[in-house]
Amino acid sequence: MGRIDEVIHQSLRLQIMASLVTLDPRETVDFVYLRDLLHATDGNLGAHLEKLEATRYVKIEKTFVMRKPRTFISATAKGRAAFEEHVAALKTILNMK
Amino acid sequence: MEISSEEARELLAQAQDAATRTRKLLACRGADALFVIWGLVWFLGYLGTEFAPRLLALTKGGEVRGETVFWTVNGLWLALIALGTAVSAAVWKRRSPTKTVCGARFGWFWLLLYVYVNFWIFLLWPFIKVEGAVESVRFWRHMGAIGATVPMFAYVVMGLWLDHFMIWIGLAITGLTVLGLFLVPAWFWIWMAVMGGGSLVGTGLLIRNRWR
Repeated sequence: MGRIDEVIHQSLRLQIMASLVTLDPRETVDFVYLRDLLHATDGNLGAHLEKLEATRYVKIEKTFVMRKPRTFISATAKGRAAFEEHVAALKTILNMK
Repeated sequence: MEISSEEARELLAQAQDAATRTRKLLACRGADALFVIWGLVWFLGYLGTEFAPRLLALTKGGEVRGETVFWTVNGLWLALIALGTAVSAAVWKRRSPTKTVCGARFGWFWLLLYVYVNFWIFLLWPFIKVEGAVESVRFWRHMGAIGATVPMFAYVVMGLWLDHFMIWIGLAITGLTVLGLFLVPAWFWIWMAVMGGGSLVGTGLLIRNRWR
């Protein structure tokens, strides 16, 4: 049985993690694409990413592509494991009740 | 933390939905623009192959040597391929939603394929350069068919790793090329411009509208 993770439990953070764990572990996604994908705003997504980064569930990499700043995000191994556990816990709740 | 089964169901559905949308995004990966760019390269290249000899004849006022036509058409294709490669690299860098080690490997794959095909033609040249062959229209039509089917082979190979959709595009355009070569040989270059180039542009637009 998995463990409910209070950091991931928030709706948008759960969707962020669900999106990031779909990627290959060596792959990173552009902030703008993630924002559009999750129908979030810059500020909202940024704040939730900060929280996920503080727990080392995601890695944020700021870089320049053709002189324009871009931010790429990926899930860490710790974040992937926490997400899997959280989803397992949710499934257990669903099956128990 | 107390979570009801309704809440758990709702959260799992949200996670599933986010994962599905991400998979669709990955399937696209900015490929729509690349299909359109290379469709336009094909369209302009094959139209140029059809009409460049006639334009040369018009401007030179009569017969034009086969060698002049050869270098003009090849120059046009080289310029279009160089332009297509530069635009593709810039678009990929700017628009690709994800950064992956695969991106650079695909670039190397296409470059190696181009080098190898030219190397194979170089190896075979003494056998295919029979008397009068290079001057014959039929010879160049067959070379054109090879030039069209090699990148389609690459699409099929890439489709095995990326998305099976590319396998069907590669096979479909290979089939169209063979059909054009044997059914409408006199219109082969225009057939390839419309059917080959058009299919690539159409695929790009389809990806843009359906997968985004």
